[in-house]
Amino acid sequence: MRWQKSGVALLLGMTCLLLSRSSLATDDQQAREIVDGVDQLLRGQSSSGTVRMQISTENWQRGLSMHILSLGTDHALIRITDPQKEAGTATLKVGDNIWNYLPKVNRTIKIPTSMMMASWMGSHFTNDDLVKESRLVRDYFITTSFEGERGGVEVYEYTLAPKPQAPVVWGKIVMEVRQADRMPTWHRYYDEDGKLIRELTFSEYKTMGGRLIPTRLVMRPADKAGEQTVVVYDDVSFDIAISPDTFSLRNLAQ
Amino acid sequence: MSRRIVQIAWRNLWRNPRRTLVTMAAIALGYAMLLLFACLLEGLQQQMIKNGTSLGLSHMQVHAPAYYPDRSLYDTLGGRGGTDVDRLLAAITADRRVRAASPRVYGYGLAGYEDRSAGVEILGALPAQEQQVTTLHTHLVAGHYLTAQIPQGVVIGDKLADAIGARVGAEVVLLLPAADGSMGNDLYTIVGIFHTGLEAVDRGLVLMLLSALQQLLSLAPDRIHEIGVALADATEATAVAAALEARLGEVLPVRVRAWPELAPHLAEYVRLHRSISFVLFTVVSVLALLGVMNTMLMAVFERTRELGVLMALGVRPVQVVGSILAETGCLVGAGLVLGGGIAAPLLWYLQAHGLDLRSFMGEISVAGSVVDPLWYGRQDFLAYGQAAVGLAATAVLSAGYPAVRAARLRPTEAIRKV
Repeated sequence: MRWQKSGVALLLGMTCLLLSRSSLATDDQQAREIVDGVDQLLRGQSSSGTVRMQISTENWQRGLSMHILSLGTDHALIRITDPQKEAGTATLKVGDNIWNYLPKVNRTIKIPTSMMMASWMGSHFTNDDLVKESRLVRDYFITTSFEGERGGVEVYEYTLAPKPQAPVVWGKIVMEVRQADRMPTWHRYYDEDGKLIRELTFSEYKTMGGRLIPTRLVMRPADKAGEQTVVVYDDVSFDIAISPDTFSLRNLAQ
Repeated sequence: MSRRIVQIAWRNLWRNPRRTLVTMAAIALGYAMLLLFACLLEGLQQQMIKNGTSLGLSHMQVHAPAYYPDRSLYDTLGGRGGTDVDRLLAAITADRRVRAASPRVYGYGLAGYEDRSAGVEILGALPAQEQQVTTLHTHLVAGHYLTAQIPQGVVIGDKLADAIGARVGAEVVLLLPAADGSMGNDLYTIVGIFHTGLEAVDRGLVLMLLSALQQLLSLAPDRIHEIGVALADATEATAVAAALEARLGEVLPVRVRAWPELAPHLAEYVRLHRSISFVLFTVVSVLALLGVMNTMLMAVFERTRELGVLMALGVRPVQVVGSILAETGCLVGAGLVLGGGIAAPLLWYLQAHGLDLRSFMGEISVAGSVVDPLWYGRQDFLAYGQAAVGLAATAVLSAGYPAVRAARLRPTEAIRKV
């Protein structure tokens, strides 16, 4: 009799354990899917779009227009089309590498690893944003830190903690996603000490290129009140046919 | 009377020449060692200050109050409106302790050559002025220094040249954020390559003409970030900086920083040297103290009978103390003279030819300064004097005990002593 009892208890315990583990796994899986969806949102399998960037700093303001091409997570080509003085300036990303093409001197310059956190073209986005953002699911542990209503909208809040050996710069990323349409509302980036460094907010959700996307992105550094970089999508198409050869140094210098 | 005491003391010393010579030699060698050490330390210190300040830092730097240490592109002297650079330079060099002043602009960005690139600090300067403030032009290993004739010329460090694979004559592209928000970029020709031994300078510094960098940064000609100042005497830096800040402050908000503030590691290192020499002096003093005390105790012990007779004949205890102290003084004085005599040629040699450590060590840098393996000494007469006075004082102090013992002898007992 005794061994039977303990056998039943063991069985029960194991079932509970399995159940709880599997429910955890589904939760985790859902969070990963949503985060990955947000991550891929403005990229798709491939994308081609025109974007305006308005940079405001304490010292100056300026606007840039550019054309963005992307293929998967590893290839991107951004070419500035306006203002005239900088038209033709382009950035190529292949894998972890970034090159800038400077039409004024007709030279290509590779951005070294040490400059990854430096500003991209004077904006509040970093070179690293172009390279590393594509790896959220791979480089971070994702936990759901909030689920429910906020300001009249049902949202999920996810906290992303870097995996031990992951080559990332942030100590923590927190992001909010609307439950209904899985649209991101904001990302907050923290350093290793848990200090807020910058916030990226999303708005003006529109259907563009066959999918619903936030067409206005605003990056604000936490330590400089009043400074920001606004990115507005004017036009974008997704999952179009682009050859990987497009993303070559030769093509960059055109 | 006093002359006779010294005479007697001197004669007494040579009643046991071997013992006297051994003690005297110990004092002489101890003193000679202190002299050599002080000389080498002063040499090292001067060399470190010189190397630490002459490779870009300079003795003093004049900035807008907010500029340092963030080095923001916009915090130029005189604020966004800039300032009359020539008038400011004239005001600085009006101080007679100032040897030269050099206006500078800084930029931070990328240097690229073919498919390689590296992060760099770009220093824009006027060649003639900068050469009076820093010694980069004496560290060239290839090519030549900046000249006004080649406006797009740059001088870079050898480690940077290796990192991007560029040689003299190569055209490098520089890319950096400019003051108007654009990305300043242009092509520059390497006219010279330097090697200082300081990793950060050799790997990261690009030198170009002041006007060329202002153009690259979209800065007006009257906007500069810094004035590097060279002084006639580096040790006066802190005092001159305070005076200059007060005087310039009447017309322009400025902060003037002396090298101990700009390079705190270097200043700490200099203080560390002082502590080391104090420890060494203490050790030598204790040894001298014991040696002298032993010698004088022996002398008193040997002469118990003689001292008893003298005191029986009416010599007062004070006179006995005086004679013992005089004897000690002669011993130490002769030892110091001997030590100085031994050390003098060595001190001269260290100053003139230096200590060649090249077979033991390569080039090393400590506390942000290069230590040259050819180690020159520098005469530090103040330290020599302090060591002599200190040694003499401890020696005479140590003779106090034997002297008092001698003075307390009772003649009746002392006379009977064999």
